[in-house]
Amino acid sequence: MKYLPLIWTAVMRKPARTILTLLSVTVAFTLFGLMMGLNATFDQVAAKARADRIFTNARFGGAGMPIAVAHQIAAIPGVKVVTAVSGINGYVQDPKNSAFVLMVDENLPKVFGDWGITQQLWDVVQKDRTGIVMSQSQATRWHKKVGDTFTLVSRQMKRADGSSAWTFKVLAIGPDFQQNSNGYIFGNYDYIDKARPAADQGKIGEADLLANDPATSAELAERIDRAFANSATPLVTITEKMARAGNDFGGLDIKKITGGIALAGMFMVLFLTGNGIAESVRERFAEFATLKTIGFSDRAVTVMVVLESALPCILGAGLGVGIAAVLARQIPKLMPPDFGIPLPTISPLVLVWAAASAFAVALLSAALPILRLTRMDIASALSGRA
Amino acid sequence: MLRQIWIVSALNFKSLRSRFWQSMVIVVGLAATVGVMLSMLSVSAGMRQAYYASGDPNRAIVVTKGVEQEPQSSIARAQAPLIAVAPGIAKDKDGKPLVDRTLMTSVPLLRKDGSKGFTTMRGLSDKGLGVRPEIKIVQGRMFQAGKRELIAGVGAQTMFRHMQLGDKVILPDGEWPIVGIYATGDQLEGQLLGDTETLITTLKKPAYTTMLVRLASPGSLDTFKKAMTTNPALSVDVVRHSDWYKRVGDQNAFGLALLGYVVGTVMAIGALFGCLNTMYSAVSNRGREIATLRALGYDAFPVAVSVILEAMLLSVAGALIGAGIAWAMYDGKLDLFGNVIFHLSVSPHQIELGVIWAAAVALLGGLFPSIRAARRPVVEALRAT
Repeated sequence: MKYLPLIWTAVMRKPARTILTLLSVTVAFTLFGLMMGLNATFDQVAAKARADRIFTNARFGGAGMPIAVAHQIAAIPGVKVVTAVSGINGYVQDPKNSAFVLMVDENLPKVFGDWGITQQLWDVVQKDRTGIVMSQSQATRWHKKVGDTFTLVSRQMKRADGSSAWTFKVLAIGPDFQQNSNGYIFGNYDYIDKARPAADQGKIGEADLLANDPATSAELAERIDRAFANSATPLVTITEKMARAGNDFGGLDIKKITGGIALAGMFMVLFLTGNGIAESVRERFAEFATLKTIGFSDRAVTVMVVLESALPCILGAGLGVGIAAVLARQIPKLMPPDFGIPLPTISPLVLVWAAASAFAVALLSAALPILRLTRMDIASALSGRA
Repeated sequence: MLRQIWIVSALNFKSLRSRFWQSMVIVVGLAATVGVMLSMLSVSAGMRQAYYASGDPNRAIVVTKGVEQEPQSSIARAQAPLIAVAPGIAKDKDGKPLVDRTLMTSVPLLRKDGSKGFTTMRGLSDKGLGVRPEIKIVQGRMFQAGKRELIAGVGAQTMFRHMQLGDKVILPDGEWPIVGIYATGDQLEGQLLGDTETLITTLKKPAYTTMLVRLASPGSLDTFKKAMTTNPALSVDVVRHSDWYKRVGDQNAFGLALLGYVVGTVMAIGALFGCLNTMYSAVSNRGREIATLRALGYDAFPVAVSVILEAMLLSVAGALIGAGIAWAMYDGKLDLFGNVIFHLSVSPHQIELGVIWAAAVALLGGLFPSIRAARRPVVEALRAT
């Protein structure tokens, strides 16, 4: 601690240099935070993807499928439980305010319980079929609380009476989950389906299921596709693990890209701080000789140099990752509300990586100057000949 | 004046060796910046090139008026004969016009890693091969008209599972076997081809997607276009095939390119602070030397210019190193995005862009230090230690 004033004087000896170094380190760590944060998001989503969950959609047309398909899938050996998921695509008041209400059945909590959809949440729409459950983020977006009514104007789906306004009561607010940053609103499929004209009834959007054996879920998915390949509704079935692999960037290896960017930024910073500390030590070579003359040990000098080099690194890393965290929060506000881009997560692991990188850069930067200082010939350094 | 700039700059460059590590900050900063940016841009550039290669100035595409992408277009079946009789279209040996009635649909496939991907299934009509002679069968045979069978591109084979001869692809009316593998050397290689008339029945569609015609000569575009656009029965746009793919390629690669520029800009800002740092300290270390020059009668301007030139030299050197690394690591490597398979590209044009990027950083990073160098009072600088 007693070295602090000495280090502070050293750092502020050339304030312009210190500030510019700090700014550069901050920029590099902002990028580092965003990139590693993206990786953290992919990792978390992939880790949360259940090996036994499988999604099934109509292979063509996107018009959904008959509910009979869900029943047929449930009968395929190896399938534990199937839930049919559909939705009303529409808007609230103004066509610009797009909203989506999911229509689900009683198996939803069995298949998606780990997403925070509990049996209790389902039970409320089971008891009061005209109601809906909103996730926290959706409730915030539409300024709704339990007991409010929510009216959605559908774009395609008409009610039996020909109107397209669907009014629901908000019965409960559920938790958000990371797999879908937009949150959810869900209601009772049975009620909504019966409210449609008879000709439109009995259709679902997709069927999601759990496999008995997680180890063979990929084979089960292929088996389902093959079973329906020559039917009226060919299906496209994918395990959740695969659906979340790499968060789908058209097959690009996104982690290689984010990792490369983060690394390049660190490399840039290493040269900058390394040069800065080397220069600072060179300029004060005689001062260090004086310190050693009056009894400062090599260890003390080493600590001083490391701290001097660590200061901008640690501070810049903190600032940079902080900016990244703020940006990660602000990005969704700059995008259209339903723009589902993956958001960086500044997880504890990202912080650890940032701190480790900052220390590594600081230590590497300080290494050569320290070597010079410990090997210095005090007499010639004091006389200015070194 | 030029002579002064030259002398002062030469003096600077000669002393660079003594400021080696300091100067390396700029070189490495710009190498990292340009290296990362060009690596990212190699994806969008490669993809764009694959699209560009698909166009042919000797062909014209007919699409619904106002559409920007092929799948959005729809040409009613009844309109096809009207298009085929138009002037300006090349004739086949049998005297029939070389017109390909194209039909497109999206087909889900599994990528090699097991994740879900899509490709385009494209219907080719009887004169399809005459319009697109670049389609070469490399394995198996061509599909037969009227049969529910298809051929897969070599790119699709690289990208997707179950793309070997004899494998079956699920279409809306059931499975179609793969009877052949084709190559084209462009983005068509990532797709599947079948018979248009069979496919249109399968899809239950009342219309083709687009029409592709081989022009009698590159100059007959205007004749053909005029016939199309003045026909009141048609509401279509006619675009030279090469121009069409140029626009589509630019459009589809835009998002990826933008990402590259954003990251490149952020890194450039980081490099800029490094550049400022180095140049300020270079100017202050050489304060006495500069003052001596000024005392000898050199103007402030050449001194300032020489500082910027030094920053330029170092930055551009860094940019070239970064571009070289990006080129060595990625140029020519096979990559894919969606259903387009392409070779990553670090072209001279992009290297030029990297150099411009670096020059911009150098200009900003050298400007303020250069002003300080030029403004510093001579006497004070001479006295300073």
